[in-house]
Amino acid sequence: MQTHTRPFVIAALAAVLTIGTLAQELTLPNQKDSLKFAVIGDSGTGNTDQYRLAKQFASVRERFPFEFVLMMGDNMYGGETARDFERKFEIPYKPVLDAGVKFYASLGNHDSPNQKMYKLFNMNGQQYYSFRPKQGVRFFALDSNYMDRTQLAWLEKELASSGSDWKFAYFHHPLYSSGGRHGSDTALRDQLEPLFLKYGVDVVLAGHEHFYERLKPQKGIHYFISGGAGKLRKGDVGGEFTEKAFDTGFHFMIFELLDDRLHFQVITDQGKTVDSGIIERRKVDTKAAPSVPAAPPAKPVPPQDKAPTISAPR
Amino acid sequence: MKKRILSTVLVAWFSAVACGTSGSAAQAQGTNVNPDAKLMADFRAKVDAYNKLRNDLAAGGPKLKETVDPTAIGEAEKVLAAKIRAARSTAKRGDIFTPATEALFRRLLRPQVTGTADAAENKTTIKEDAPKPQEVPFKVNGEYPKEAPLSTVPPDVLKALPALPENLQYRFVGRHLILYCTRGNLIVDYMLNAVPS
Repeated sequence: MQTHTRPFVIAALAAVLTIGTLAQELTLPNQKDSLKFAVIGDSGTGNTDQYRLAKQFASVRERFPFEFVLMMGDNMYGGETARDFERKFEIPYKPVLDAGVKFYASLGNHDSPNQKMYKLFNMNGQQYYSFRPKQGVRFFALDSNYMDRTQLAWLEKELASSGSDWKFAYFHHPLYSSGGRHGSDTALRDQLEPLFLKYGVDVVLAGHEHFYERLKPQKGIHYFISGGAGKLRKGDVGGEFTEKAFDTGFHFMIFELLDDRLHFQVITDQGKTVDSGIIERRKVDTKAAPSVPAAPPAKPVPPQDKAPTISAPR
Repeated sequence: MKKRILSTVLVAWFSAVACGTSGSAAQAQGTNVNPDAKLMADFRAKVDAYNKLRNDLAAGGPKLKETVDPTAIGEAEKVLAAKIRAARSTAKRGDIFTPATEALFRRLLRPQVTGTADAAENKTTIKEDAPKPQEVPFKVNGEYPKEAPLSTVPPDVLKALPALPENLQYRFVGRHLILYCTRGNLIVDYMLNAVPS
């Protein structure tokens, strides 16, 4: 090979390799009438990492048309001027917002409570709220920074009225975590877990820790931590609760609910899938005493050969 | 039968009057009154007064309502804060957290943050998320800086302290406790060294 052509070959090879690593497959069924949603956490930095992930996020949305996004809090680090809302939310997620996707925020410790008035966060002027995107599915967005008696009473009332719906609770502070920096919030767990068990909450999502962690099911409930959409803490995760963890890149999650099966996939800023699986819904009799059958761990799903490809230009 | 009913009613009435009198007398003499309950009631009355003032001022607009325009949210917050500052221009530290209330709060807080494993967890939670004291100017009616995080307040701590009305919250800055008005984003009052070191 002639010396002067070498840099071009290397560049071309690098490009091919890069495209190879960016090309990713959807592991989710992506069926027409399913409920599709995404999750981001600790996103609001306004830096290039958030933007890079947001680009990947928009790219996935083109192939997997999720209807809404759950935000795990720390939606806005630092200032909260109009410019900050643009830089840390409206600009990076513009393609998704323009496509009509709704964001449902919860508040983190870096968020002003008045974010509840920002319409694009769909909090309806409340620091905690629930919504039902579809018959048989209910989401509970909690304010874990300030879990007072009023909020706990509200939650119990809401859960009690949710019947046999699929129940997803999400908030900023994880009840279980293998993170070295923060770890499990046991005080919060003491308050929330009994209610989750009593009323059959299926999945609990949190942020705060700047990594991804899927925890071993705890007393039948599936827990995820997704706090790496704008910040990253490398080398901080792994321990007794960990089923799967990822802390070397930024990520977001996508979910698809099909009857009694919840499919999930975790995608990085490089377009790589770092975790995926299926959660089978357990049967809980909420009228009976809160003895909960143990949930099986999520079944990992290998990438499907014929699944659509996700390309991720950087 | 009628006589019996009448005498029962009379006895009950006399007993009630007697109890009421002796209660009032005891109160007047400062005996038989739970001092903590009195402090709690005083605190609650002051908090309610602040809440009413804030709500009255907020009613004059501009109203903080759901909007896609973050400038409008910030503006409503600032206008309300300015009105509150004007209306409470003479407010000073200790108006709400009086020395006696501070002592009571320290007593209520201590078991929540010291002595047991759960309490140690609570203290860690406060410490982890609370901003450093140099990040927040300790000033009654002062603005809470948006750049500073808001501390997480563990549920045990919230259960131990008197409940607050909506839009008023307890928050920690380092070891110090502030009474935070979420609507106006300002510090209503504060007590230093609320959490033991």
